Amino acid sequence: MIEWAILVGVAAATLRVAAPLILASLGETVVEKAGLLNLGLQGAMLVGAFSGFMGAFFTGSLWLGLVCCVIGGTITTLLYGVLVINLNLDQVVSGLAINLLAGGLTLYFTRALFTGGVAPYLQELFGPMQIPLLGSIPILGEIIFSHTGFVYFGLICVPLISILLTKTTFGLRLRSIGEDPVIASYLGIDVVKMRYVALFIEGILAGIAGGLLTISMFNTFDTRIVAARGFVAVSIVILGRWNPLGVLAGSLLFGFTEVLSLRIGILFPEISSASTNQLFALLPYLVALIALIVGGRRVRGPASLGKRVGRE
Amino acid sequence: MDNRPSDPKKEDYAIFLKEITKTFPNGTVANFGITLGILKGEVHAILGENGAGKTTLLRMISGILKPDSGEIFIDGKSAKMRDPMDASRLGIGMVHQHFTLIPEFTVRENVALVLAESGWLDLKKVDAKIVEVSEKMGIEIDPEAKIENLPVGKRQLVEILRLLCRDVKILLLDEPTSVLTPIEVDSFFRIIRDLKSSGKTIVLVTHKMKEALKISDRVTVLRGGRVIRTVPTTEADEALLASLVVEGLAAPPVVKRGTPGDPILSIDSIIVKDDRGRTAVDGLSLVVRAGEIVGIAGVAGNGQKELVEAISGLRRVESGIITLSSQDITNKSTRFIIEKGLSYIPEDRMHRGVVLTMGIHDNLALKCIERPPMSKNWVIDRRSMINYAERLISDFSIKASDPCMSVENLSGGNIQKLIIARELSNGGTFLIAEQPTAGLDIKASEVVHQRLIDLRSRGAGILLVSSDLDEIIKLSDRICVMFGGKIVGEFFPENLDLERLSRAMLGAE
Repeated sequence: MIEWAILVGVAAATLRVAAPLILASLGETVVEKAGLLNLGLQGAMLVGAFSGFMGAFFTGSLWLGLVCCVIGGTITTLLYGVLVINLNLDQVVSGLAINLLAGGLTLYFTRALFTGGVAPYLQELFGPMQIPLLGSIPILGEIIFSHTGFVYFGLICVPLISILLTKTTFGLRLRSIGEDPVIASYLGIDVVKMRYVALFIEGILAGIAGGLLTISMFNTFDTRIVAARGFVAVSIVILGRWNPLGVLAGSLLFGFTEVLSLRIGILFPEISSASTNQLFALLPYLVALIALIVGGRRVRGPASLGKRVGRE
Repeated sequence: MDNRPSDPKKEDYAIFLKEITKTFPNGTVANFGITLGILKGEVHAILGENGAGKTTLLRMISGILKPDSGEIFIDGKSAKMRDPMDASRLGIGMVHQHFTLIPEFTVRENVALVLAESGWLDLKKVDAKIVEVSEKMGIEIDPEAKIENLPVGKRQLVEILRLLCRDVKILLLDEPTSVLTPIEVDSFFRIIRDLKSSGKTIVLVTHKMKEALKISDRVTVLRGGRVIRTVPTTEADEALLASLVVEGLAAPPVVKRGTPGDPILSIDSIIVKDDRGRTAVDGLSLVVRAGEIVGIAGVAGNGQKELVEAISGLRRVESGIITLSSQDITNKSTRFIIEKGLSYIPEDRMHRGVVLTMGIHDNLALKCIERPPMSKNWVIDRRSMINYAERLISDFSIKASDPCMSVENLSGGNIQKLIIARELSNGGTFLIAEQPTAGLDIKASEVVHQRLIDLRSRGAGILLVSSDLDEIIKLSDRICVMFGGKIVGEFFPENLDLERLSRAMLGAE
């Protein structure tokens, strides 16, 4: 018999683990709506995690760390923009190049700056902040209202991005670029500017998504810290059908499977062993695959997604 | 005789072009020294062949392209337009040949794209404007309809409506009737006349002389990027215009009809789905006999593409049977079907017809590369590939400096000749020709037509799918009209009732 408290714990952990995914996939939704498939999201998160850690470690201020991860994330996505917008390079190749660059640079600086090539621990972290009144509601308060600010920020971003995309002229124009950038430019829409704005938004969100790993979730930096969260976020966007609410649902699904894989021993001690636990660590990626096969069929994204603007 | 306008500042001109020249980076001179005045409130037709520079001219007036030299005057004032928004502010709007509507969006969203101010999207205001303008145009349009679900004729009206929502005074229309059925053309012309009487200036680019004569007040003929002449329509007739449009055009030969023999292709109630899983070909049956050209007429998007792909093995047939030379080819591999005698001239010639980055010799040998003399014992014989290419280049008069040159350096007409050379030399007994002359000029089209007729005379069966009704009528021995995935009518080119034909194309027969 599983206990109540464990279930509440799993639900709360799901939200906590989902937060970086929510932020990153919302950012990716915005750029994909503008027709850019940014696989460099992974790299942007890694740079966010790294710069957030560096900022916090060297200044001693978590808030400056937060500023740094935003700057790191936006620089990375804007660099991707230079490759695909200004140089008109292939989107997939550019994204992967960004990931390689991010991996290489963060590894280099970690080794160069810290003895033994291992980043030290931060003295403090952004901790949970229980929301007054709401936080004291039994069960619900514990699940939703006793998290770090990053979780709340992620949840607030869902309606904000949704409104931005559907209720504003900016969103309509952005979506038209994703459908057909050539037509959009005929209609007097500044495709280049709009795409940079979209990448800027993604950079902020991806930077924070990466940064929260080092300044809130774990208290150090390692080049493997992002794991495959960036790629998972890209598949969440497809699974969520480019819709912020769908993206939220997808992120929660992945958060849940990750929590499940970590806590399988507590939840189901009878099937837990060293070897099965290793297998269960695969669970989120397996679910990603199955979800894409089941949910990703016959979905139509922005028509020009991933396409290079043809020479005329 | 020479009625070249001289004073660009005169207020009578809505548009005045002065010595406009435009050269593209690849060296093509699209427009050369064009001087032309468009009067306020007139319908001015610009007539010319493909490649005469008509579209380029419109694009410069609408701010998409910039002239290399020369000056554009709008309402008597010199106008330097950097982008389409500048043109829009001057009251100029263009309807492109390929629509600039987003198919995924609703009518309302498409209008909002150009109308709405930054900030919150005010759809009520957009709706009000749509209602106001559509009433003025005398048309009914549902603002919530998705563009992709609207018939092509309606989409065009949405394009025009969107321009009028922006209070456009000068409308530039690029080949506006190419996608319309004859009935739709009539109602479209009514709208043009209404617009004219409400004081709009309309520039209409077309390659159809009949249309220019029917709708315009004046006609300007372009040839090779130059203005040949501007004539008042009342003083023009088809013979005059034809002589201006094409230099040294011989009268088109009278096409003799074929003598059909035994069935080559028979299709028995097939069902085929489109990319989204909807039924696109719905229980269609059709027979093409030896020595016969069967024309498939119909508005694009009624299952023609899926039908062709089903026959050629590119798309799954859900049910029904297709036989070619009395052998079942239903859901067989394309290679198998080609061996049974299929030749195919695809609509998308750049992507499906040739491998652009490969040489002419490679492309010509693609379909017979596995047999001698092109290859022996799995080794390609380059010499015989080149010999073969040289022979076909001269037989089909393809303009190429070298049999190994990359296909991407050929003009559209020569690429089409190359595809036809390959498909007609493959010993096929049945040919699918899909939009075989789209984008080709009159002379190249004439060559293509002659090749098709020759092939038919040699006893092959041809399925001609074309949105160019004139082409269908000219070549076909039998015309089948496709609508909603079915053949809804069969017509013969003799004593053709055009009215009934176009009703059938609209599904009203």
